[in-house]
Amino acid sequence: MKTRIALLGQPNSGKSTVYNALTGSRQHVGNWPGKTVEKNDGYYTYKGTRYTVTDLPGSYGLSGNSDEEVITAEFIKLGLADLVCILVDASQLERSMYMVAEFAALDKPAVLLLNMMDVAASQNKEIDHELLERRLGIPVLPFIAAESRGYDALRELLARELEAPHKLSSVPELPKGEDRGSADAVRAESEAKFRWIRRMLEGVTRSEQKKYEMSKRDRRLLSPVWGKLACFGTILLGFLAAMVICFPLMGIGAMIPQLLNRPIADLLTSLNVHPWLVSIFSIILPNTLYFCVAMSGFVFGVNLVFGYLEEIGFLARAAYQFDNLLSGLGLQGKAICPILMGFGCTIGGTCGTRVMDNWGQRMLTMAVVWAVPCASIWTIIPVISSMFFTPLQTLLVVVGILLYVMVLMTAVSKVFGRTLVPENARSGMIMELPPYHRPHWKHIAKEALLKAFDIFKRALRTVTLISLLFWVFSYSGTGNVADSLLYKIGTAIEPVTRIFGLGWRTFMGFLSSAFAKEAVLGVLNAVFVGNGTVLDATFRSAFSVATDNAVLGRAMTDVVGKAEALAFMCACTFNIPCVMALSTTYRESHSLKWTARIAAFYICGALILSCIVYHIAALFL
Amino acid sequence: MKLTDTKPDSCGVIRRIGGDAHLAKRITAIGLTEGTEFQTVRNDRKMPVLIYLRETLIAVNRTDAERIEVETA
Repeated sequence: MKTRIALLGQPNSGKSTVYNALTGSRQHVGNWPGKTVEKNDGYYTYKGTRYTVTDLPGSYGLSGNSDEEVITAEFIKLGLADLVCILVDASQLERSMYMVAEFAALDKPAVLLLNMMDVAASQNKEIDHELLERRLGIPVLPFIAAESRGYDALRELLARELEAPHKLSSVPELPKGEDRGSADAVRAESEAKFRWIRRMLEGVTRSEQKKYEMSKRDRRLLSPVWGKLACFGTILLGFLAAMVICFPLMGIGAMIPQLLNRPIADLLTSLNVHPWLVSIFSIILPNTLYFCVAMSGFVFGVNLVFGYLEEIGFLARAAYQFDNLLSGLGLQGKAICPILMGFGCTIGGTCGTRVMDNWGQRMLTMAVVWAVPCASIWTIIPVISSMFFTPLQTLLVVVGILLYVMVLMTAVSKVFGRTLVPENARSGMIMELPPYHRPHWKHIAKEALLKAFDIFKRALRTVTLISLLFWVFSYSGTGNVADSLLYKIGTAIEPVTRIFGLGWRTFMGFLSSAFAKEAVLGVLNAVFVGNGTVLDATFRSAFSVATDNAVLGRAMTDVVGKAEALAFMCACTFNIPCVMALSTTYRESHSLKWTARIAAFYICGALILSCIVYHIAALFL
Repeated sequence: MKLTDTKPDSCGVIRRIGGDAHLAKRITAIGLTEGTEFQTVRNDRKMPVLIYLRETLIAVNRTDAERIEVETA
């Protein structure tokens, strides 16, 4: 029995909406064999039969312009789908029918979805889909992907067509020539395809070139200077909105360790359980749960906001505004949103990269987002800096950090860009700016919720693992820092860490900054003042002692010189962002290899920077 | 004239698309073929050229837009 369906369509055709609506959470993401292209498979059950759905990568054509197009064409050619469901934008029918013209050469069974009928209707475009169906010889279904009511008809149609499939009865006549790959031949073929499209659409819809009037909103958003400012402002507002949305969730998450810490610890201690297990169950597990809840809260908020910004058509405009600037880094203009989001939270920025077109671009954007200091860093750096430096000098530190962000971004794109986004795959922007849509909230919220739940499930494992690892190192039976493995290793390798300008105490602070930036002050408090354990401080458990910045400042300045302090701040800021960002990157990229590579790059980079800063600063300070 | 030399709000027809096969594939796939009518919507310095064509607003980066010969009405 034939049950394999593939979805084919251009960017903005609503393909992923249909895919998500059909399969819900029954999805699997992997990579195409040997390629850095994401492979999305899912399934659904209809009338007792299980159908698989493959979401083919979105592209404008099938002529092999990119890995995505080659894979898509091969997939269809090899007959790996029993039925191809092609999506076109009904409001831009002539242009988006190009995909149908490209598909025609492959001679496989298909159905056509005229998506965004609501947009077409709002532009007073009428489409005679029955006439089109007769001309093409395959079923044509008018559709609104973001509304749930049409899906029964779609499932019904797909089931019927899998039983008794139809192929296109009309295909474009392509010019015959010797030299099929030449630029001239390509142009002639495309012209022939559009001629065929015109013929198919004759009488189906009116497509006359009307004078285009920019909307008032576009007049502002697309202007070179004001538009960029408006984009900045919108993204900032979007980030704030995401924060407001995820705040309740994070609040609930934060209550988990506070509520569970003591009861679990008391219970287990009364049962005479070994203190090791007590600390695992009372500190590590509730906190892991908290981290994962907080993470998925963020992912939900960001996906909701990004889903909204993408659907209304804002993202395409931001991409247009910043394409020139970011192409220098080998990135698409769209990367501006995740990068700016990174100033708030690296996790948010990382999952914001889902708007990028392909895996390589996505991975590179994540690597670049890591360079952006998140809000937590901006809360600890001024505190530490002001212990050692005057306010003016602190300001200089902040400016220095911002300047280095640009250096680091360039370095990241130089080191990883060549492999992730090869030179020949870097082509300038040629993209459509879709008309503004009204958002379909129900659909956006559903997708964001799915994504957040998915991250939660997957992250539990990674975060637990890394937390346990940190626990092994920082556990101290007596509560005294000197009894932890971290202390023993730290002091043993101090001669080495000194090269990087860090003593064992600041080195511990550096290590904890890889865990969570919020943990840094607490850990410094534990190692300098001797208040509380590193473990409690890192996990901010109910046992951790509140940090008194003045006391910490005195204790730190006694032991640490200005040069070391400066080196330490640089090392912390440009270390890997945090366990949760690491885990999100792994979960979003599906590549352990690349996540590890980028993590190694950041750790080494932070230590080298710290080394350079220390030795130069030691000459002057 | 080149697409990059067109004035905002002017209408015209695409005459010749230069460049290699790769550019030809990319640019024709989005709907820019020879003989297509278009309208320039925005043409700002250091920004992609915005054109309206086949009922679609399309941004074309300047390097590639340089290679497109057009005839304006």
